[in-house]
Amino acid sequence: MIEKKHLEELGKGSLLAFGEIFNGKLHPSAIEVLTPLKELGLKLDKKVVLVCLIDNLKSFQDLEVLKKSIADEVWMVCHQELVHFKDDLYAEVLIEIVKKTSPYGLFFPATSLGCALAPRIAGKLNLGLCAHVNHLEVEDGKIVMARPTYGENIIAKLISKTTPVMATLSIGAFSPSYGEREPKFFEVAMPEEFTWASKIKVRNFKPSAKQPNRLSTAKVVVAGGRGLKSKENFKKLFELAQLLKAEVGATRPVCYEGWVEEDRMIGVSGVTVRPKVYIGFGISGALQHTVGMENSEFIVAVNTDKEAPLVKMAHLALIGDASKVLDLLIKKLKK
Amino acid sequence: MEKIILCIKGVPKPGTVKVDPVTHTLKRDSLELILNPPDRQAVEMAVRLKENYGLKVTVITMGPPNVIPLLKEVYGIGADEMVLLSDRAFAGADTLATSYVLAEAIKKMSPYSLVLMGLKSIDGETSQVPPETAALLGLPSITNVKTVLKERNNWVVLRQTEYGEEELEVEPPFVASVLPEAFDYLRPPSLKRLLEVKEKDPLVFTAKDLGLSSEKLGLNGSPTQVVDVFEKKFEAKGQVLEGEPSFLVEKLISVLEQKGLIHR
Repeated sequence: MIEKKHLEELGKGSLLAFGEIFNGKLHPSAIEVLTPLKELGLKLDKKVVLVCLIDNLKSFQDLEVLKKSIADEVWMVCHQELVHFKDDLYAEVLIEIVKKTSPYGLFFPATSLGCALAPRIAGKLNLGLCAHVNHLEVEDGKIVMARPTYGENIIAKLISKTTPVMATLSIGAFSPSYGEREPKFFEVAMPEEFTWASKIKVRNFKPSAKQPNRLSTAKVVVAGGRGLKSKENFKKLFELAQLLKAEVGATRPVCYEGWVEEDRMIGVSGVTVRPKVYIGFGISGALQHTVGMENSEFIVAVNTDKEAPLVKMAHLALIGDASKVLDLLIKKLKK
Repeated sequence: MEKIILCIKGVPKPGTVKVDPVTHTLKRDSLELILNPPDRQAVEMAVRLKENYGLKVTVITMGPPNVIPLLKEVYGIGADEMVLLSDRAFAGADTLATSYVLAEAIKKMSPYSLVLMGLKSIDGETSQVPPETAALLGLPSITNVKTVLKERNNWVVLRQTEYGEEELEVEPPFVASVLPEAFDYLRPPSLKRLLEVKEKDPLVFTAKDLGLSSEKLGLNGSPTQVVDVFEKKFEAKGQVLEGEPSFLVEKLISVLEQKGLIHR
């Protein structure tokens, strides 16, 4: 049994993180975002709380995962109207929680749901919100957030003048960690007068036919950029990926060109990877991409430009035509 | 006639970006601007809805006067009315300060039944402005929208997320951010409309025209503040090899073997 608490009884001034649950399943980002927040929490002497919204505790399939998490507390809000994700209603629930518990920080994974919710809350409460943050630290008692910016090789450090400090955190940018002490679980009793209304009605849901790719946890990543010159050449990466049991990644420009779906994008607004081996074909290495792969254990760059940033950060750089090298590599591996 | 508000953004042409060393914000005056590529999808959606349901499209943007050609480009594609929100005081706005101006301007354009925006801009890449503006307007927001249809008096929306596709019904008006993959075909501007728009100027609104509170505008009105920007430079650290593809591939294969990825 989980202890029920009214909003007023919950601890104030904590660091809250949105624990994304969809159809009873916890999104892996819920565990990832706790890692940097726990560090902040220790430095700032704040509790770290994961806030989850769900229709019914019984439909939650990942309670065991949460029990191992490093959150100090888990707050579960349960109501039948939360069975489907509705932007306006989910935001209102979180706004009520913010109003009553005056958190010091409020963080979201930069998933599609997180990116839909966080700005609604920021707008309603007139709060600053930083997007796709991939590094958090404390300077002079303040939370400083870093993110690559302007799509170029520039990193910006930001602060927020408003409280709670709000940010969406890049997916895969932080490694999951687990604790020894089980968090305290509370079921949140929302105020009587709270209205569970929404202007959005969910009429139908068709789950994705294709399995989500495993890019963010892949041990081997083969990625391609504009240097591959065409969609046809890019597609050969899937052949190579099969031979190496790898996942295919891409840079932003080729996703925008339509060579591959955007869920393969590595970098600022895409995923962060940390494989044992990363091979970049025809990728020059704009910061927008490299922040998403710089922690790879072994980096190989195949590029014609000796001065390209990715060539410089690579453990092994092969100076040559990426598509020719790719063709030949596939041919030899098939033998 | 029922109206769609279409918000667009001028973004720096990739590769032309400069940052002001003092304010840490983008130097927008000197930039070559292009229509934010994801906004093209919102433009296409607006024009299709206009054709299907006989709606009127008002295109609106915030920025210095050098974004006017972009408004005209969208008029060329099919917008009916152009609005420019322009004031020195808007400079340096973060997403909240931007959404505040947009929301106040959109309020002035009531009644409308739909606000369309691109999912995100390629310069800031936050994707925050559509839901933030919706919250300020007190309207529902739906992100990642693939399709919008009318059914009786409501909108029916298909939204694509990593989990799948949702079919939603929502009361007008609402704010939608359009998925970058929504349409395969994006119509170009028509020559006839481009000639027509040569003679036209957008309506221009300043902070004063909109009756905005100065403390909520621009850099000073932005709750997020950039405290530092720095460029990331890389020093060569690994082995750099040049030569024929066959030589390079040999080397690569031996590394892959070493790492245990392949076995010969």
